[in-house]
Amino acid sequence: MTGDMGRPSILAMLRTRYFSTLGNAILSIISFSILALITWKVLDWAVFSAVFSAANGPEACKAVDGACWAVIDARWRLILFGLYPHEEHWRSGLACGVVVLMTVLSCLPYFWNGRSISIIWIGGFLAFYFLMKGGIFGMPVVDEQRWGGLSLTVFIFLTTVLVGTPLSILLALLRRSELPWISGVTGIIIDSVRSLPLLTILFAFAVVLPFLLPDWASGDKLYRAILGSALFFAAYQAEIIRGGMQGVPKGQEEAAKSLGVRYRHRIQRILLPQAFKNALPATINQFVITFKETSLFIIIGFFEILASGNAAYGTGNWTFAFVEVYAFIALIYFAFVFSLSRYGAFLERRMDVGDQ
Amino acid sequence: MTQTVEPAIIIRGMNKFYGSFQALKNIDLTVEQGERIVICGPSGSGKSTLIRCINHLEAHQSGDIAVLGTPLDNNIANIDEIRREVGMVFQHFNLFPHMTVLENCALAPMLVRKWPRAKAEEMAMQYLEKVKIPDQAEKFPGQLSGGQQQRVAIARSLSMQPKVLLFDEPTSALDPEMISEVLDVMVSLANDGMTMLCVTHEMGFARQVADRVIFMDEGEIIEQNPPEEFFGNPQNERTQQFLSQILGR
Amino acid sequence: MLSAWNNIKLRNAVLQILYVGGFVALIVTLIVMGRTNLQEQGIISGFDFLWKATGWEVSFSLIEFTSRDPYWLVLVVGLLNTLFLGVIGLVLATVIGVIIGMARTSANDLARLLGATYVEIFRNIPLIVQVFFWYAVVTRFPGPRQAINVGDSLFLSSRGLYAPGLNITGLSAFLGIVAFLTGLGVIVWVSSAQQFRRMEPARKSRLRWLILLVAFVVTTVIFWIGRLPDTTLVSMPALKGLNFRGGIRVSTELSAMAISIAIYGGAYIAEIVRGGFKSVGRGQIEAAQSVGLTNWQVFSRIRFPLALRAMLPILANQYVWLIKATTMGIAIGFTDFFMVVSTAINQSGQTLELLGILMGGFLIINFTLAAVLNRINRAIALKGDQLRT
Repeated sequence: MTGDMGRPSILAMLRTRYFSTLGNAILSIISFSILALITWKVLDWAVFSAVFSAANGPEACKAVDGACWAVIDARWRLILFGLYPHEEHWRSGLACGVVVLMTVLSCLPYFWNGRSISIIWIGGFLAFYFLMKGGIFGMPVVDEQRWGGLSLTVFIFLTTVLVGTPLSILLALLRRSELPWISGVTGIIIDSVRSLPLLTILFAFAVVLPFLLPDWASGDKLYRAILGSALFFAAYQAEIIRGGMQGVPKGQEEAAKSLGVRYRHRIQRILLPQAFKNALPATINQFVITFKETSLFIIIGFFEILASGNAAYGTGNWTFAFVEVYAFIALIYFAFVFSLSRYGAFLERRMDVGDQ
Repeated sequence: MTQTVEPAIIIRGMNKFYGSFQALKNIDLTVEQGERIVICGPSGSGKSTLIRCINHLEAHQSGDIAVLGTPLDNNIANIDEIRREVGMVFQHFNLFPHMTVLENCALAPMLVRKWPRAKAEEMAMQYLEKVKIPDQAEKFPGQLSGGQQQRVAIARSLSMQPKVLLFDEPTSALDPEMISEVLDVMVSLANDGMTMLCVTHEMGFARQVADRVIFMDEGEIIEQNPPEEFFGNPQNERTQQFLSQILGR
Repeated sequence: MLSAWNNIKLRNAVLQILYVGGFVALIVTLIVMGRTNLQEQGIISGFDFLWKATGWEVSFSLIEFTSRDPYWLVLVVGLLNTLFLGVIGLVLATVIGVIIGMARTSANDLARLLGATYVEIFRNIPLIVQVFFWYAVVTRFPGPRQAINVGDSLFLSSRGLYAPGLNITGLSAFLGIVAFLTGLGVIVWVSSAQQFRRMEPARKSRLRWLILLVAFVVTTVIFWIGRLPDTTLVSMPALKGLNFRGGIRVSTELSAMAISIAIYGGAYIAEIVRGGFKSVGRGQIEAAQSVGLTNWQVFSRIRFPLALRAMLPILANQYVWLIKATTMGIAIGFTDFFMVVSTAINQSGQTLELLGILMGGFLIINFTLAAVLNRINRAIALKGDQLRT
């Protein structure tokens, strides 16, 4: 450690950091080689040897070793908007923009109270829905059957969360009820839903339910599937909120009781605000997981972004370009999921510091 | 009807169980209006449980409790009525951390008494002045010292204008130098004629303001007497033993 | 009426009866409605169909199955496939997770960067996207004739991965694996059980090696006894005509699922491993160093045991999640439990019964897994509150 005296030279610093022992040196060399190799390979494939323009068709890609981004250039509208009418694509794009704005706004602590968050999410949802569906301001009506691609993914996510959140609060409150039968039965419901795979629930709601229900009670397949997804979300989110409630000291409710505050107000004004704050990092995490899980809708036959991606390379002359299409879809998911989960981790750290 | 003053609290033959463990045994207690009572006893003797039964934070299993003439029974309206008229101050303050001091005090009057915000906040400020911290009204509880927090908690209870105040070891969680500021407030409340039941180990306070001191052990009321008699001439052996431990005699 | 509603006991009783009654009524209504609806379509409810022949084949099975076999057997096939994929996925994911997790807690920041890159890339892309990707990759390998040849024993082709296998009966393969796993279990028991706490470390180490050797020998003997007549014990895959003969074949569906689950699960498990090691207080490590333990001893005796205790409950949840994720196999046609049930619903129309079996199956798998992990967790949990002081 003599190199640490005074200002160590860069060389000495490198030595203590990466080559202090034989094991450390081997680890450094292996890690560096892997990182360098991957970085070079990916850069070479994705940038240096890639074809970006679809002007020359798929044939141009066959001549090079790198990525064929031409497929994205040629098919990006299909991937993002699915079968949505071509001249109305701006609506679908704008609707997704609204949701991005909404997400950013909800990350600002300034809006962290029940009223603002509700206004942002319900307002955002309505804006999204009417932009997509049309029928007002002279926009032609586009039915849900024609929605697809990224905006369908976003719609599924939004509706799941908007229906699931109130349900999860209700379930969490019932679960912590003092009445043993109520909390017991709710516990069974929550645990059962949680131990089932989401896919089986989606399958049961979207595919199986119409066999069991008379026609008038079946409703639209998309909304049935979303209901199942919301139920699944609520079962997980209920446990997160319950965890947040357990973090609120018992004395808080006792103090409110001793002041004569009744149940509804105790929950609204005392318990929930504190529980939400405790549960915030886990909640963000759950939102991220839910967004990722919307991709399962492809399996029960919806044309969301993954399905439109499959269609983008599955037809015509682009069948060889699957890696590029999946990379593009992965990148869209990654951008959303990574930034949100980083934000969640940041909040968690900040709250840890705040508690000390 | 003759204009007799009815007792603030009447407890008759009350029993309280946690499962098979009996926490309170056959409690009889009458508290007149304006009376100041100090309850003491070793830990686990049931003194906190007793006052928590009075505003139904804990349910009792048998016997009768009536507060200001309202019986504490299965009727929810009665429980609400009693909680409106009985305030409580806790060992750990239990202030609402997500609200300012003023919001803490004005919340219940607005929700329960349905006062408009302006009136609730004006009254709250009055009580914050009474406990001598009006200048902290816009701060959050986490920014105050323990003694200040407990005084806010007292102001919060007072803001509901209760007729009876229950104190559950209000100074036990405080650093020694902050105890006196809280006790001063309690003494001044006592001098205003507030009906008070205090579970506390502050024997100086008991001597100074109590009309009656109650000693509890193992869920029973062992002895109750005015302070001079209680401290000067304790009757029961367990009382003597407790006093010698706590007073160091 | 108003005063009755104010009676707390009466109100509580009424609320509970309404809630439980409403829930039961909802379930019963659904079942009754479903039954009548299905009867109108000419489907008789009941479990008799389980003994009828299915009339369809499955693409991948661990046990013998033909289209003449009954429905209950196809359900068993699906369940075994789910468990098989689950076990492979969990083991691989754990191995990857431990390696990456260790890299992320390393003092070397290059290794940390490598670990972080891995976790952030694979955790933030939905599993199903990765499944589709890997499936597209494995089905685009060259055909059997141009298969990628690794040392004449491993062949990668669009038909799947061919590897050397053993010419033994299914029963002896099963018993052999069970015997070996039992040996590993005994080693874990010896390492952690109360009875062996006071044994000399050197003797304990020798005992563990001995058990491992015995387990190995027993397994080999079982395999040897169960070998098929007139064949060599080890069977090598070789190209015969248009396809490979001999060895074992890992189907493209299975390998795509296993790769995806291992990679995706590995990223999550790495984070759990990292969290576990982070939770071990500096004070514990400093105390161990101050009594003169070497780096390896500090790791194996102090850091690892404490970190494991912190990890296990979260790891249990993750395992349950990964088992549930095997259902995504349906997207690429892997015949797991879910796919078998949904095909059976399509073919037989016995919707209610099969839905019940599907849900029941997953409830049993996950509750069993959770119960086992909870038991382990309780067995090794620290007694009292010694960690808090």
